Amino acid sequence: MRVLIQLRPSPDVVAAVADPGVTATTADVSDGLPGVVLDHSFTPVAVPRPVPATGGDPLSLNQALTFSLAAEHASVLVRGEISDDELSTRLALLPGTRSDVVGVHADPVIESNLTCGGDDPVGDWHDVERLLGVAELRAEGLDGTGVALAIVDTGINSAHVGRHLGSNPIVDVRNSWNPAGVSGTAGQFRVDHGTMCAFDALIGAPRASLIDIPVLLSRRPGGSAMDGLLSDAVAAFAHLRTVLAAQPQATRSLVVSNSWGSFSPRWDFPIGHPGNYSDNAAHPFNLIISSLEQAGADVLFAAGNCGRDCRDSRCAYPDRPIGGANSHSRVLSIGGVDTTGERVGYSSQGPGRLSLRKPDVCAYTHFSGSQAFGAAEPDSGTSAACPVAAGLVAAIRTRWPASALSPSQLRTLLRRTADDRGGVGFDYDYGYGVLDVSGILSSLRRRELRVA
Amino acid sequence: MVLITVRLPSEATLKQAMRRLDLREEEVDTGYGLVLIDPEQSLYGLRVSEAAARRIDPAAGDGPYSDPRIEPYGPPR
Repeated sequence: MRVLIQLRPSPDVVAAVADPGVTATTADVSDGLPGVVLDHSFTPVAVPRPVPATGGDPLSLNQALTFSLAAEHASVLVRGEISDDELSTRLALLPGTRSDVVGVHADPVIESNLTCGGDDPVGDWHDVERLLGVAELRAEGLDGTGVALAIVDTGINSAHVGRHLGSNPIVDVRNSWNPAGVSGTAGQFRVDHGTMCAFDALIGAPRASLIDIPVLLSRRPGGSAMDGLLSDAVAAFAHLRTVLAAQPQATRSLVVSNSWGSFSPRWDFPIGHPGNYSDNAAHPFNLIISSLEQAGADVLFAAGNCGRDCRDSRCAYPDRPIGGANSHSRVLSIGGVDTTGERVGYSSQGPGRLSLRKPDVCAYTHFSGSQAFGAAEPDSGTSAACPVAAGLVAAIRTRWPASALSPSQLRTLLRRTADDRGGVGFDYDYGYGVLDVSGILSSLRRRELRVA
Repeated sequence: MVLITVRLPSEATLKQAMRRLDLREEEVDTGYGLVLIDPEQSLYGLRVSEAAARRIDPAAGDGPYSDPRIEPYGPPR
C-alpha cells in the first residue's frame, strides 16, 4: 500500500524542505525506514503546524489557528510503499521504533473515472486482441489447437459466437456435460452469459476445443431460475477429471474457466462451521479443485464484482468478497481492467478468504465483444476478464502441455511476468498486475533454451 | 439438501454409499448420484436431506457441507 509518512527531521532539514529556493530530496530527509520502500521521485513537502492563539487548546483544530512553517514547528511528508502483507505490523511499529516518525497516512489513488457497471464499453475486442498480444501468439503458432477449454457457465451458443468472432468455434460435444435435469445440446444453448464467456476465451485461443458445461442452468431442488448449486459444480469437476484422465499423459491440457461464485454468506454455513464453503479448504468443492489441478488442469476463477468503488448490488459479504474456490491457492483468481489498463471499479479486491494473495492477476473486461446482452452492451464483469485470461492460458498450452509446464509453474510464470500496476509488487487491487504476453513468451523461450 | 462425503473403494456405487451411511432412498438425491471427489483419497460426495446428514455416523462419513447457490458474475448490476 502506498503511504505518506510524516517525519520530523532536524530543524535544518525542515528549513531546507520549506525553502522554495532549495530542492531537498527524500534522501536528504530520511536514509531509510524499516519495511518502507521510499519513493525517491517524490519531492518532500513541508507540513505547517497549526498553532492556536495564546491560551488556546493545543489539541483542538476547532478554533482560530495560525500555521507555522518555522523549522522547529513544521514536519515533512515523504512517500513510500509498505507491503500489503506487513501493513498492520509496520503501521503499529514505525512510530514506536523511530522517533522521527510522526505518523503514517494512507495515500489513496485519486481516480474519479473508474469504469463501473452500466458504463459504456471501453474499446472493443480487437483492442483486447492487440493488448493481449494475439499477433505475437499467432506468430508462435499458439492458437489453442488441441487444447480443451471448458466453459463452466450457462451454456454456449456457438452460432452466435461464430457470427461475432468471424470464425466457427470448435465445440467438443463428446466431452461436454450437462448436470442432471438439464436438457440441451452442447453449443446450442440460449445466448447468455456462457456465450459471452466462450467468445471472450476464443479471443486468445480461437482453435481451442470448447467443452460446454452449463452448471448454472441447473434446476436442482434448492436452486432457482438463474443460478445453480455448488454441488452441480462438484459433479462437473468430477466429469472434467475423467476428460483429463482420458488424454495422453504427454499432451495433457485442460483449461477450466469459471465466471461465477456465491454472492452471499446467507447461502452458506457460518464461518467456523466445519461444513462452511467460503472459508474452508476442506469443503468438497475446494477438495475437488485441488484434485483436478493435481491431475494437470489449469483452473481459473473470476475474482468477482464486489470491488469497493462500485460493487454489484448482490454482494452481501461485508468484507473480503473473494471467497471459496475464487480464492483457492490452486486457481488463478482473475481481476478486471478496462482496455486503458485501469482496474474496473467493480473488480473485487483481496485479501482472499482461502488464500490471502488474491486476486492473482488482472485481464481485460468491459469491452464491446460478444454482444450476448445486446449490441450496445459490453462484455463486462470479472466474468469477461476470466475467460480472456483462460484463452491466453489455452494458447500457451498449445505448445506447453501440463507435462512440460505444470499448472503450478504456469501460475507462477503468469504472476511473475505480469505488468505491475497499483502498488509496487503484489497489491490487493491488481494482484501481481495485468497479464503480459511478451513477458510470458520471453520467459518460455528462455525456459525452452535451458531445457534444450 | 446438503453435501456429505464418504470413503469407499474405487468404482463404488450410490447403493454402496447408502448402505455404508445407513440412508434411505427418500433421503438421498439419487438424480445427483455419487460423485468421486478425490480418487487418491477414495473420497466420494452425495446430496442428502439435512435431517439425514445430522444422523450420519462420524466414523462412516463427513458432513454436512453447505451447498450454496452459485450465480454468474456478470454483467455487474
